[in-house]
Amino acid sequence: MSLVTDSPVHSSSSDDFASYLDAQLGSGSTGTSGSSADDETDNESDHESERIKRRKAEKLEILEEPEGSTSREYSEQIVDSEQIVETNIKQDSCSHPGSFGGMCMRCGKSLEEKSGVTFGYIHKGLWLANDEIARLRKTDMKNLLRYKKLYLILDLDHTLLNSTSLAHISSDEEHLRGKVDSREDISKGSLFILEHMHTMTKLRPFVRTFLKEASEMFEMYIYTMGDRSYALEMAKLLDPKREYFHERVISRDDGTQRHQKGLDVVLGQESYVLILDDTEQAWTKHKDNLLLMERYHYFASSCQQFGFSCKSLSEMETDENEGDGALATVIGVLKRVHTIFFHELEDELAGRDVRQVLKTLRKEVLEGCKIIFSRVFPTHFPARQHQLWKMAEQLGATCTVDLDDSVTHVVATDAGTEKSRWAVKEKKSLVHPRWIEASYYFWKRQPEESFSVDQKASS
Amino acid sequence: MFFHIVLERNMQLHPRFFGRNLRDNLVAKLMKDVEGTCSGRHGFVVAITGIENIGKGLIREGTGYVTFPVKYQCVVFRPFKGEILEAVVTMVNKMGFFAEAGPVQIFVSNHLIPDDMEFQSGDMPNYTTSDGSVKIQKDSEVRLKIIGTRVDATEIFCIGTIKDDFLGVINDPAAA
Ligand SMILES: [Mg+2]
Ligand SMILES: [Zn+2]
Repeated sequence: MSLVTDSPVHSSSSDDFASYLDAQLGSGSTGTSGSSADDETDNESDHESERIKRRKAEKLEILEEPEGSTSREYSEQIVDSEQIVETNIKQDSCSHPGSFGGMCMRCGKSLEEKSGVTFGYIHKGLWLANDEIARLRKTDMKNLLRYKKLYLILDLDHTLLNSTSLAHISSDEEHLRGKVDSREDISKGSLFILEHMHTMTKLRPFVRTFLKEASEMFEMYIYTMGDRSYALEMAKLLDPKREYFHERVISRDDGTQRHQKGLDVVLGQESYVLILDDTEQAWTKHKDNLLLMERYHYFASSCQQFGFSCKSLSEMETDENEGDGALATVIGVLKRVHTIFFHELEDELAGRDVRQVLKTLRKEVLEGCKIIFSRVFPTHFPARQHQLWKMAEQLGATCTVDLDDSVTHVVATDAGTEKSRWAVKEKKSLVHPRWIEASYYFWKRQPEESFSVDQKASS
Repeated sequence: MFFHIVLERNMQLHPRFFGRNLRDNLVAKLMKDVEGTCSGRHGFVVAITGIENIGKGLIREGTGYVTFPVKYQCVVFRPFKGEILEAVVTMVNKMGFFAEAGPVQIFVSNHLIPDDMEFQSGDMPNYTTSDGSVKIQKDSEVRLKIIGTRVDATEIFCIGTIKDDFLGVINDPAAA
C-alpha cells in the first residue's frame, strides 16, 4: 500500500458522516476535532518526561472519560439522526434469555449484569439464563429423540487417551520417539507428539471405532479437567475431520465449579445423558449417569502418578487389547442401553430415563449372587460404606455379614481365614475382591476361577 | 459502516530511524501499530490512507527518543444499531449462529431466526426452512441487521437478526 500525503479518498457522503462523527467525538475533548491522541508507553523517569506524561495523562483522561458510557449513546444518536429503522422488538417485554458480549441476544439491549450460566466453550462472551437453558434442552431433546440419539459425555485422560509430558518419558520409553505417527493423516495414527505443548499422547486402542459407532447413537461432548488449549488439541487428534464434537468441547476453564464436572453446561436433559469417565469424584452430582471406566495408563509417568510401581504398557512395549479392551467393552454396553431405551421400554419416550436403564443393566451383572466379605475391609470400617460393598450391590448382588448356606461367594484376599476355609469346604466360590471390580468394569460376571485366592499365601 | 476519519497519535521513534527516511520510518511504524487494532470510540482501523500532518518532535531526555504527534487519515469500520451487514457464518448450533464481518463477531440467536427455519443437528449443523429451500450453515453468507453493538478495546460484538424482510442467506455454499 502506498501512502500519499494528500489523500484523494474523500468521498463526499462519507465525509459528511465523518465530520459528523468528528464533531461528536470531538465534543468534550481538547478541541482538535476528530483527533484523539493515544500514547505509547514509555519508561522514562526524569522530571521533564514525568511532567509531559502527567499532562498527557490529563489529556487522555479527558478523552477517555466519556468513552465507555457515551460510545453507545453516540451510536444511538447517530441511529436516531439517520432515522434508521427501529427494531420491531419491544424492549421492555423481553425476558433477556441470554447475552452475547454483554448484550441481550434477543433485544440487543446492553445488560448490566450477567446472569445464568456462561457457555464460553461454545463462544466467548456467551451466557444463557436458566429458563433459556431449560427451553433449549427441551426443544433439543425432541430433535434428538427423533433421530434416536442420546447424549454422551466423554472424559479424555485415562478414558479415551493417555498423555505424558515429554520431560517425563522414562528411559524404557525412549523407543516411542521412533514410533510417533505423522500428523499429516491424524486419523490413521494413535501416538502423537505435540511439540508446542511438550506432550506425547497415546490414543486408547479401539477409540476410532468407538467414536464412530457411538456417534450414531449419541450427540457427543468432550469434558476434561485439562485446560482449554489441551482439550482442543486432543479433540483434533480424536476428531480430525470435525465430525463428532463440533463446539462441544468443555474444559476445566468452562465449568462452573472447581474440581467438579457438571451437566449444567451441557445442553441436554439429565435423563438422556450418559457419561464415560475414570474419575467418579468429578461427578458427585451425576453418579447415576456415569459409566466408570478402568483407567488407561499407557505411559510410565501416568502409572507413577497413581502410585503403581510396575512397568507401564509403553515400557513393556505392549498395549490394551483392541478387540476386548475397555472401549470395546463399553461400546457394547452403550449399544445395549440405547436399544433398551428406544426399543424395549414401554412407557412414553419423553418420560424415559437413561439412568434407570443403566441401573437395571448393571443389576443384571451379579444377579443371584450372595456375597460375604472376609477381612477385606479395615477393622471397624463400616462395611456398607465400602466401595466394594456398594459396587457389588449396584451389580445386583446381595451383600451380607451373616454366614449361612445362602451365601454363594466369599470375597477374600487370604485363603486362610475362617470364612475362606468354610467356602472351600462347602464348595462355595472363593474369589479375590478384583472379581467384583472386573465384573463392574466389564459389565459382565467374570469367571470365578480367574480370580481365585492364592492358597499358598494362607498357611 | 466504514468511515474515513482523521486520528492523531503520538509516535515515539528511536534515534536510529532519523535522517533522510525519517518520514517513511514514522509512517511504516504507524501502520504497523495502528492497522488492525480496535478502539472503543472509533471501531476497527482498517487502513491508513494518508498523513495529514506530522508535528514537531519532542526529544526525550536521557534516551534520545523523539515523540512526534502524527495526524493521519484512516478508514475505520464500526457497526451501528439498525445497520444491515453482510457476514459469513462461522458456527451453527442449537442456540443460533455466529457470523463474522471482518473483525466483528455477530450472534444471531434462534429467537431472531425466522420461525419457519428449524435447527438440524448432524455432521453439518444448520437451520433450514421446512421446504428445504433455504439453509444456513457454516460458511454461508448472510445479510443481517444489527440490533446491538459493543466495541471493546480489541473486539467488536454485535447482536444480529435475520427476522425481517430481505434478510437471510445471500449465498449458500451447499448449493454452489
Ligand atoms: Mg480422566
Ligand atoms: Zn432482552
